[in-house]
Amino acid sequence: MLQFLLSGIAIGSIYGLIGMALAISFYVTRIINFAQGQLMMVTVMITAELVSSGYPVCLAAAAGLVSSCVIGILSYLIAVRPILLSNRSSFGWLVSTLGFAVIVENAAAYIWGPTSQAFPPILNNISVPIGSAVLTGQQLLSIVAATILAAGFEIVRRHTLFGKLGMATAADPEMASAIGANTTVVAIVAFAVSAAFAGIAGLLIGPTTFANPYLGDTFGTYGFIAMMIGGGTERPIAAMFGGLVLGVCAEGANGLINSQASDWFPFIVLVVILIVSPKGLFSASNPLFRPRRPAAASR
Amino acid sequence: MNEQSSPVLEISSLSAGYGRFDVVRDIGLSVGKGEAVALLGPNGAGKTTVLRAIMGLVKQRRGLIRIGDTDVSDLPTHRIARGLAAIAPEGRRLFLDQSVEDNLLLGALHLRHDRTRVERLLTSVYDLFPVLRNYRHRLSSFLSGGEQQMVAIGRMLMSDPEIMLLDEPSVALSPVAVDIVVKAMLELRKRGASLLLVEQRIDVATRVCDRLYVMAHGEIVEEMTPEIVRSGGMSILNKYLG
Repeated sequence: MLQFLLSGIAIGSIYGLIGMALAISFYVTRIINFAQGQLMMVTVMITAELVSSGYPVCLAAAAGLVSSCVIGILSYLIAVRPILLSNRSSFGWLVSTLGFAVIVENAAAYIWGPTSQAFPPILNNISVPIGSAVLTGQQLLSIVAATILAAGFEIVRRHTLFGKLGMATAADPEMASAIGANTTVVAIVAFAVSAAFAGIAGLLIGPTTFANPYLGDTFGTYGFIAMMIGGGTERPIAAMFGGLVLGVCAEGANGLINSQASDWFPFIVLVVILIVSPKGLFSASNPLFRPRRPAAASR
Repeated sequence: MNEQSSPVLEISSLSAGYGRFDVVRDIGLSVGKGEAVALLGPNGAGKTTVLRAIMGLVKQRRGLIRIGDTDVSDLPTHRIARGLAAIAPEGRRLFLDQSVEDNLLLGALHLRHDRTRVERLLTSVYDLFPVLRNYRHRLSSFLSGGEQQMVAIGRMLMSDPEIMLLDEPSVALSPVAVDIVVKAMLELRKRGASLLLVEQRIDVATRVCDRLYVMAHGEIVEEMTPEIVRSGGMSILNKYLG
């Protein structure tokens, strides 16, 4: 049981990071970037390519992340901004971001071929016993990295001027521009940060999945489920908690039902959770997480 | 406008609206430095659209809008908001998931590298509305309507703009809160601020402003002073305001 739990938390950290990536861009722009999984794939493919060409892993990973950020910004400038400029309430971005995802995926398949390529193991060869369970160093790294990134994002969001500006833009973009915020720049930064989150998820899962141009489909979908389960549409960190729930459920299903159960079980979990808590388990509208009104006596 | 004062806001031949329709047509008005001017009119007259056009929040606008020496007719909103004009909008539109002080500091976004000036502005807001000093760490969603209006006016002050735009600051407030807001506007006038106030309440406009423009059907139809209103002009206003 401990093994399922820890393995679930490890893979859930990856789902949570991709869920947070989706949630960060949604938080600021109210757009779901369906190319998020492909941004993760870009980091994996470029890192694998550069390592196989003889570059050090750190340098290759940094180049992969930068590439993801650049393509993430392009996804905003090409697939999102023109749609919002013509009609802010239009849903054209649904098709345009999906189209962008298809283009990036097929371009990757054209460049690197449709089959998987080697990815550097990073810490995948190290085993770490925890009680009666064993995690790989890579799994442990995933948990630590996701914790640091989620906490760091929340600290920046709540305690820095830029984070507060992001919150203001999320709440009322027109009013944010009326206090002097360039909301286009805020959106570009949000898309770059979310691409970086997706890219880091790619670096953490790459040693397990290897580098494949179609990697983004599966992980993009799980990231979306993580965001919806957690309630990341209201605050991005909720997507991380959603990812952990998803990861534990998927690993538990694999172990307790059959080895293919993680393909369908998360969808059942999603439907049940959305029926019980339509805005997600950890959303701000959940009474457990709603800010409390100060007592009248303190006024 | 006072003969001596130079216009801080000058609008001529302004037409603006949404979609294919102009809500305001061929508007001309001015506000002098240190002057307070009211735009009166019934619902749908186009008063708010004039303020939104000044802030660049209306995409479709023609004509000239000048603030100080700057032609802002084609400037994006965020550039106008950086010290030229600031708005306390209708409905307050605070960032409700943020504290009172965070809302105020966001108003001084373009001054963020000048900490001394931001501190001075923050102190001046707390001097104007002492109650906000006690509530500065409170979420703005937990404030009353009157307190939220104070934050909206404070946020506007924090950008230290050349012209302050207030859109119906008295709407949906208790008489006590209206009195506080009026006194704050009078204090701003003492400090030399230039105000363009959209109002439906004639008593508020005449207490605060030097001149009143009356709008109806998207056009300015009358210009008068509070003295004229008090000495019989009320019947003219009532004709438009109903």
